[in-house]
Amino acid sequence: MLTLRLRRRLSHFDLDIDVVCQESVTAIYGPSGAGKTTLLNLVSGLIRPDAGHVELDGHVLYSSVEGTDRPPEARRLGYVFQDDLLFPHLSVDANLRYGYERLTGAERRFDPGQIVELLEIGPLLGRRPQHLSGGERQRVALGRALLSSPRMLLMDEPLASLDQGLKSRIIPYLRHVRSDLDIPILYVSHSVAEILELTKQVLVLRDGKVLAQGDFFDVARDPEVLPLLDEYGFENVLPVEIVSGGEGACTARCGDQTLRIPVCHRPAGTRLFVGVRADDIILARRPPEGLSVRNALRGTVTEVSTVGATCLVTVDVGHRLVVKVTPEAVAELGLAPSLQVWCLIKTHSLRLGPEID
Amino acid sequence: MLSPQEWDVLALSLRVALASVGLSLPPAIAMGWVLARREFRGKLLVDGLCHLPLVLPPVVTGYVLLLAFGRRGWFGPVLDALGVTLAFDWKGAVLASAVVAFPLALRAVRLAIEAVDPRLEGVARTLGAGPWRVFFTITLRLAAPGLWVGALLAFARSLGEFGATITFVANIAGQTRTIPSAIYTYLNQPGGEDAALRLVWVSVAVSLAALLGSEWAARRARGRQEMP
Repeated sequence: MLTLRLRRRLSHFDLDIDVVCQESVTAIYGPSGAGKTTLLNLVSGLIRPDAGHVELDGHVLYSSVEGTDRPPEARRLGYVFQDDLLFPHLSVDANLRYGYERLTGAERRFDPGQIVELLEIGPLLGRRPQHLSGGERQRVALGRALLSSPRMLLMDEPLASLDQGLKSRIIPYLRHVRSDLDIPILYVSHSVAEILELTKQVLVLRDGKVLAQGDFFDVARDPEVLPLLDEYGFENVLPVEIVSGGEGACTARCGDQTLRIPVCHRPAGTRLFVGVRADDIILARRPPEGLSVRNALRGTVTEVSTVGATCLVTVDVGHRLVVKVTPEAVAELGLAPSLQVWCLIKTHSLRLGPEID
Repeated sequence: MLSPQEWDVLALSLRVALASVGLSLPPAIAMGWVLARREFRGKLLVDGLCHLPLVLPPVVTGYVLLLAFGRRGWFGPVLDALGVTLAFDWKGAVLASAVVAFPLALRAVRLAIEAVDPRLEGVARTLGAGPWRVFFTITLRLAAPGLWVGALLAFARSLGEFGATITFVANIAGQTRTIPSAIYTYLNQPGGEDAALRLVWVSVAVSLAALLGSEWAARRARGRQEMP
């Protein structure tokens, strides 16, 4: 459990936060310049707050009242940055061991071999960071942080500089860290899909203040949060299970409904996330006929919110989907909570996301 | 070839120049770090003071050293008590060279440290390394090519030091007569031109060797960062 009470004067606003994070993964979401990175820097001890209290699982890391200010090297927090920031003068192996070698035997929670295997970076050990691809570098950075046996991981948009395919390959490693290694994570991102693939717990920051905190879909109903989600483009994610492959498309199951998803060359039984943008979904009152669209997910409207000139409709199809429509469509279809609708999704609007273990 | 006397001049010059690098580089590294990484009141003034030997006429620097560390200087009694003699001694020549070389070394070191991404130092801290360990394992290692450049500049400046040295510790054969003072002396002697010219060639050779050596070391340091 992480308790954060922090105040810090910044150049264009004051950061003022008072939250408790209880879940194993808490995502921090917010527009650029909201103070997300500053928050991680304050938690890590790299910058000092003006006043406040930081406590992790009973360890006081900072307290202006008690006069406690543990230096970063004593906080045992693993920090993974957007740029991997590997040490360029050290080999991958020496990078991985940099934090590990600072620990006494009793403090070491993991063995390098175990982390190397988990992150599949064995073949890279002898190389220099300059000779790694973006995804490899980010995995090494994660491994280096893990080998310092942190009490918590702080991750600042660790996937932002990677392309979609690489993101999907790294997210499963993060899910392993969360569930197998039992390390809590504070995860800064402004990608809804990325967040939903990791956790449901989200903390929304704007101008240095907490706008909302809690389950993502509860937070998303907040009239102040909705415009932020809309501005950055809302991508839904659905967990599905592959049923069978086929020519041009695969069949997958999502709850008790069936989806045709793009060809993915994975065996039946594989579970993975598929992403679909809120503006790529069409709503229908009746099951469609004579359309090329392959998918019609039956669901119930749970929420209709208006943001400026658009409406965001939340539909429960077993999982919640947010659909972006015009106010006229809402009026014409009479969209309102508890109405049954069909969500039409083209196969090729579905993005194949990371696998779920 | 060189006469025994000229060999002595060369040996003394190298000894003074190397000792001067050894004396000026550590404070240049410390001060370079402070100027690159710390903000404080009066930083501009400190910066200016550090660069003073670069802009002052060397004779002035030498005279100030004489006032401070001469036998009857401000710190004369302290040096006496410690049993250290600087005046008219090769150690005095080292001090004069080091003071004059310091700002050049400082500039190179400061630039090199400024070029190290401070976030790398931050990551190292979060990985459990204290400030000193971070300084030695990250900052200095990444600044190494710049340190070699600083060492070369200090060496070259010391090798050519004349004004401050001659003012502070005079021109005494075997003690403070380095290559520049020796050339100056030979040129003032009838028939000394040949010896002066030989020392000119020696200077060219030593300077070139130092330049190549430093370039090689800097490349090796950079290579260790970039090569597989």
